[in-house]
Amino acid sequence: MGTMTHYLKIWAASARYSLVRATMFRGDLFIWAVVELLWISVNVVMVGVIYSHTRTVAGWSLYEMLILVGTSMLIQRFLMGFFWSGIFEMGRNIRSGLFDFTLAQPGDPLFMASTRKLELDGLINSVVAAALVAYSARKLGIHPGFGDIALYALMVACGVVIHYGALVIAMSLAFWITSSQGIEGSYFTLMEFSRLPREAFRGLASLVFVWILPVVVVSNAPARVLLHGFQLSWAAGLCAATLGWLFFAVLVFRRGLLRYTSASS
Amino acid sequence: MIKYGHAFVIGLQSNLIYRWNYAVRSLFWFCHLLVVFILWGAVFAGKADVGGFSFAQTLTYFVTIFILQFFIGAFNEDYQISEDIRNGLINQFLLKPINYFAYRLSVFAAARVVSGAFGLLALLLAVPFFRGYLDFPHEGWRIALGIPAMGLTAIIQFSIAYCFGLLAFWFLDIQGFVILSMAVENLLGGQIFPLDLLPHSVFSVLRFLPFFYQAYFPASILTGRQGLDFALQGLAIQAFWAFILVCVAEAIWRRGLKHHTAAGG
Repeated sequence: MGTMTHYLKIWAASARYSLVRATMFRGDLFIWAVVELLWISVNVVMVGVIYSHTRTVAGWSLYEMLILVGTSMLIQRFLMGFFWSGIFEMGRNIRSGLFDFTLAQPGDPLFMASTRKLELDGLINSVVAAALVAYSARKLGIHPGFGDIALYALMVACGVVIHYGALVIAMSLAFWITSSQGIEGSYFTLMEFSRLPREAFRGLASLVFVWILPVVVVSNAPARVLLHGFQLSWAAGLCAATLGWLFFAVLVFRRGLLRYTSASS
Repeated sequence: MIKYGHAFVIGLQSNLIYRWNYAVRSLFWFCHLLVVFILWGAVFAGKADVGGFSFAQTLTYFVTIFILQFFIGAFNEDYQISEDIRNGLINQFLLKPINYFAYRLSVFAAARVVSGAFGLLALLLAVPFFRGYLDFPHEGWRIALGIPAMGLTAIIQFSIAYCFGLLAFWFLDIQGFVILSMAVENLLGGQIFPLDLLPHSVFSVLRFLPFFYQAYFPASILTGRQGLDFALQGLAIQAFWAFILVCVAEAIWRRGLKHHTAAGG
């Protein structure tokens, strides 16, 4: 319990620092919030244009698809808001030797690196993504109960953890390879798959993106809870993927840390 | 002219150093294409055409867009220019008989030769998977008009990136502006979906904006989505925008220089 409180205090201090920093650079916060909003809009417009020429895509109607896209956006905004900056900087710091400062801090290095910064623009736009999901659910005449919403929130949290794991693994590659510029792009490329319905994947694509990489299940599982209620197979799959990816990410990070040779004098 | 030739050669050499970045980008391109294939495959399921075009024609459009981006797209020129200004490297150009726009354009051309080669390599790897889905028209005039359209697109893309890069004369961090413009350009340039799928009234307005000529216009000529009359009118509008944007870039450069302080010894 004491350890938990210790880390909670560290996280609260980081959050307070991020809040102060964001209010110091208000113009920057505004621009980035608009950027995030615009990217959400781009995806919504794309869905709108596609559905102006068809009634369903892989069996999903317009508003069902918007729930899926909104859920995917929600997970991405939470990841960007809570972890992106810290993990992104971790990769650069490992290469430059500045990771020494993280190691010298009073806590687990992965926790310290991941929670160093909160990005308010991402968190602000998570409200927009959630509103898109709520609006679409309303349009479909879905009135989820408290249990459904709690389950949906839990699954979104699982999605965030899976994406966090994938990002940590990608950035931990910096322990092995010095020139890993552009690796962060792999995360965004994989995120694109999470906006597609599971039924659209067939053959080898289904094997890779549904069963091996959890990019489809992270967004499809929570969306399905809202659309079709609790489905044990999806929930179990998501939980297993969450635990597996988190475990694997910590393992890769720890292995990488053993190779870290620190900065020179 | 010789000095810009040297800048081009040096640009070639320095871009070859980043060949792995381009290789990684090519890999991501393949993943993007897979997302497009899965999504539009689901849209076209059970349909002969969408918006008057077949699945093969739509996929051909996206493949052309991606290849065009490798050959004529401005990737990070805005960032490089802003770094020149922020770090004071721009000062050396102020003391020499060299036009910064022409210098940057030469380096941009060199970078596109390198990235274009990697784009072609990626295309060669992708062709075995997508060969049955590519459907290019055979009219010779499309190549004759497509090439100048591509040249003007390169100037438009570069000029817009150049203008955003010059914002560093006034702002410390321009990344927010760059990503903001990227969202607008991707959407209104036809990189997210073919613009002809939009309602006719919206399409008619968009064709008078510069973004229309950043990707959609040359791709629509080369892939048969537009006819000869449209292409000729479009070329005139595109030339107009290329001229205007070069003038705007020059004007911003002059205003920026008045604002610039060259410090240091």
